[in-house]
Amino acid sequence: MSTFQVAKCLAKLSKLSSNHSKVLVTSVRNHWNKDHKPGPYPKTESERLAAAKKYGVHPAEYEAYDDDGTGYGDYPKFKAESGDSKDPFYPWDYPELKRNFEEPLHVEFDLIREDRYDVTTKYTPSCKIQYLQFIGVMSGLYLMFWICEHFKCFHAAIPKQYPSDGKTHYTFD
Amino acid sequence: MGLSWSVYESGIQHYLNPDIIPSPDEETTFDPQLGFEKPRNPRVMIATEEEMISAKIPIASRDYCAHKLIEYKACRKAEWPFPVKCHHEKHAYLTCQYEDFVLRMKEYEREKRLRIKVKNGELTV
Repeated sequence: MSTFQVAKCLAKLSKLSSNHSKVLVTSVRNHWNKDHKPGPYPKTESERLAAAKKYGVHPAEYEAYDDDGTGYGDYPKFKAESGDSKDPFYPWDYPELKRNFEEPLHVEFDLIREDRYDVTTKYTPSCKIQYLQFIGVMSGLYLMFWICEHFKCFHAAIPKQYPSDGKTHYTFD
Repeated sequence: MGLSWSVYESGIQHYLNPDIIPSPDEETTFDPQLGFEKPRNPRVMIATEEEMISAKIPIASRDYCAHKLIEYKACRKAEWPFPVKCHHEKHAYLTCQYEDFVLRMKEYEREKRLRIKVKNGELTV
């Protein structure tokens, strides 16, 4: 093995070091609990710009949740979009989640992902119409039940007469 | 159609006037001889209990037409495999059933009319 080849191998190995490899940096230096926690709510314009840069959002599109005690610090507001509305033919980095590497997620992503609640699909007919349809069908069925329960049709005749009844039955002769 | 409508109308009338219109489950409540000039003839049961048991007549069929049913079944057994030869017996049995139903309808109508008379005060029981 020549000296040149050894140097080439070393150069490859050095790319795995923490100084060069983005993969190693991402997997070792990030993804700790403290990294998931958002920072404090941005009050000044410079804090706002810093937060937008931190989450990779364009400053014009950056908007944090209201700091009313139920907010999420400086975590940006994203449009809620469930998996069914995302393009299935796009080459996602994580096709199972339809998500790209380092893509910021909606704050309720665990609730609106593909196997959970669907927030984006607009149903035809709408939920209101479906509710009215359900009420209409059930009322119609109940109406039919009520009519048949109260207006029982029958042949205008007395019960069948049997000699074993112990009564005397008469003819009209 | 007319008969079908009367079936529905009887239910509606019974719902509207339950005190006058008798239910199909009710027996007659008036004296059977009420309003007749001469005594009514009682219905005669021709087939005996032993005959009906012997012929294996179902309980539901042990009515005043049972003797015709026994004749019909006996004919079928005698004429098998040509039960079509028993058309006369079958027709006689079905006619008897029809007349039995007509009698029940007459009794129902009598009960209904007597109830209306009692309600109008034309009859006191």
